[in-house]
Amino acid sequence: MARIEFKGVSKTYPDGTRAIVDLDLVVEDGELLCLLGPSGCGKSSTIRVLAGLETFSDGMILADNNRIDHLPPQARDCAMIFENYALYPHLTAFENIAMPLRARRLPASEIKARVTKIAGILRMEHLMGRRPSRLSGGEKQRVGIGRALVREPAMFLMDEPLGHLEAYLRVELRAEIRKLQERLGITTIYVTHDQEEAAAIADRIVVMSAGRLQQVGSFLDLFDRPVNRFVAEFVGEPPMVFLPVERTNADSIAVKGVRIPISEPLRAALRATQDRELILGIRPNDFSLGPPVRDHLNGTVTLVQPQGDHAIVAVSTPAGPATAIVPSDRRPAPGATVGLTFAGERLHLFDSAARALNKGEGGG
Amino acid sequence: MTVGLVRSKDLKAGVRRSAAAWPIGTLRYLVAAIFTGFCLFPFYVIVTTALKTETAIFAWPPVWNFKPTLQSFYNALFVFGGRSAIFYLINSVIISAVSTFVAVVLGAMAAYGFARFSFAGKRHLAFWILSTRFAPPVAFIVPIYLMVQKAGMLDSHIALILIYTAMNLSLVIWILRGFFSEIPIEIEEAALVDGYSRLQIFWRVALPLVRPGIVSTAILSAIFSWNEFLYAMVLTQSKAATLPVYLAGFSNSMGLAWGEYMAVGTMAVLPILIFTFALQKHLVRGLTFGAVK
Repeated sequence: MARIEFKGVSKTYPDGTRAIVDLDLVVEDGELLCLLGPSGCGKSSTIRVLAGLETFSDGMILADNNRIDHLPPQARDCAMIFENYALYPHLTAFENIAMPLRARRLPASEIKARVTKIAGILRMEHLMGRRPSRLSGGEKQRVGIGRALVREPAMFLMDEPLGHLEAYLRVELRAEIRKLQERLGITTIYVTHDQEEAAAIADRIVVMSAGRLQQVGSFLDLFDRPVNRFVAEFVGEPPMVFLPVERTNADSIAVKGVRIPISEPLRAALRATQDRELILGIRPNDFSLGPPVRDHLNGTVTLVQPQGDHAIVAVSTPAGPATAIVPSDRRPAPGATVGLTFAGERLHLFDSAARALNKGEGGG
Repeated sequence: MTVGLVRSKDLKAGVRRSAAAWPIGTLRYLVAAIFTGFCLFPFYVIVTTALKTETAIFAWPPVWNFKPTLQSFYNALFVFGGRSAIFYLINSVIISAVSTFVAVVLGAMAAYGFARFSFAGKRHLAFWILSTRFAPPVAFIVPIYLMVQKAGMLDSHIALILIYTAMNLSLVIWILRGFFSEIPIEIEEAALVDGYSRLQIFWRVALPLVRPGIVSTAILSAIFSWNEFLYAMVLTQSKAATLPVYLAGFSNSMGLAWGEYMAVGTMAVLPILIFTFALQKHLVRGLTFGAVK
């Protein structure tokens, strides 16, 4: 139950590695915010700094407008869930969940009542007498979640909590985490490298790369209106296709001599820049494959991956490799020559600095 | 057909393999048995001598099959003049127990500090602690004697307790440091965010997790204190003398009362044996196993 604010937070390791670079971020009260990025992008460092487990070099962290960055971890009132569970091996599941309450010296009867209630919510009353070594991975993380939930902290910090679990358990537990978070209304920062997971549970997603915040927004914001090539490539599966383009005119472009129709906002953005090294970005869903046409962008199918109702088709074109998603019944055969067409209003253009030209407008 | 052929081949290979393994396995047991016998034989002689009558002790050829008697134990404890063996046994227990306890408690705290905190000169300090054991103890006997004498602590329990604690500390610190380092750091981080202070984490989380290390260092420390002879001999006379000192003086004062001598020897082994067996079940490895993936 806190609004958390990072103001110009930077963290540089002694060896010069910059884990976090000038981070400005507000996490609203009761919000579930995902930190998304590849490993080493600074997302874990960010919540470890917030929890007080690591120091940082510059900036300040506020909770409800009070500075908390000088407080020791035990005074920050945050509960954390760890990727590798980090349960107390010498204690039973019950005692593990009770530990935060014992630290606060609550009376034994209240501890018992609260732990029992949490065990009920997580449907694991029957496991309460077991030590962690006798719990499965999913059960261990349930205990980890219970330990975080039991004391109703100001914020939840979850560091890839489902990373070690099997796929079906991940889906099940993430729904559970979201439900509990909504019910309790506790500000939550959730670190993950899995965009599907982030899309499934987050109110807003922060994409980080190389210690820098790239973009904040809902999954659709990131998907439809990426601000730069990194976000465009990282968000969306399979990743966006990038093709180099030539400028044929002030407001028109071509790929390998084939003129590409583009939307009016994109035209306007194009007119506003002199940049000549532009890159075109197309989502695999926005391609359609047809019979080859002369003076058109054609390519050879190199790989077809059937996925059930759709298939992922890799096409080699004169401009570079492309990926298209097509309905299963219309998938081409490997080796076939196909013509690529795409919807002009769903294209993305990136300048030579990898920034999106149609930031915040084009796309969807 | 083919299947049958393959099977019979497999069978033959299996037979050959086990035929080759047989003498090696037996040899291994034989070597182990001989070594065990070699180690235990003196102990066997001590215990049987203590249980024999005086005639049986000096009989030649040795009597293997004899009727055990507790007469020697009775004599050593209740008949012999001067202070009884029990007095020295109690001294040994007090000095060993206190020095072991203090060394393990202080050593565990120091080891935790070495394992979890970084501070200036950490490596040098750790090396210095280990280096206190480099020289043979006899090298320090004169300065330590003078220090103890000046402090008026000759023939006192506290002098031996302090010296044994100091000697055991380096061992405890170095062994426990490794145990503490093996605790996944996330467990302690979890305790930090759960609201515990560093000191609370040490007592409530870290210490229970290194229990096997605590037990093994306690056993090693206790054995060292129990058996230490040189310093006890030089620094004590009677009031604080330990069992090894008493044993060494045994033959002088009593002539060569072999039965009683060996009876005291047997009693000297028993407490440490009981202590070790009692703690052995805590020496299980892998207590932290399953805490983190």
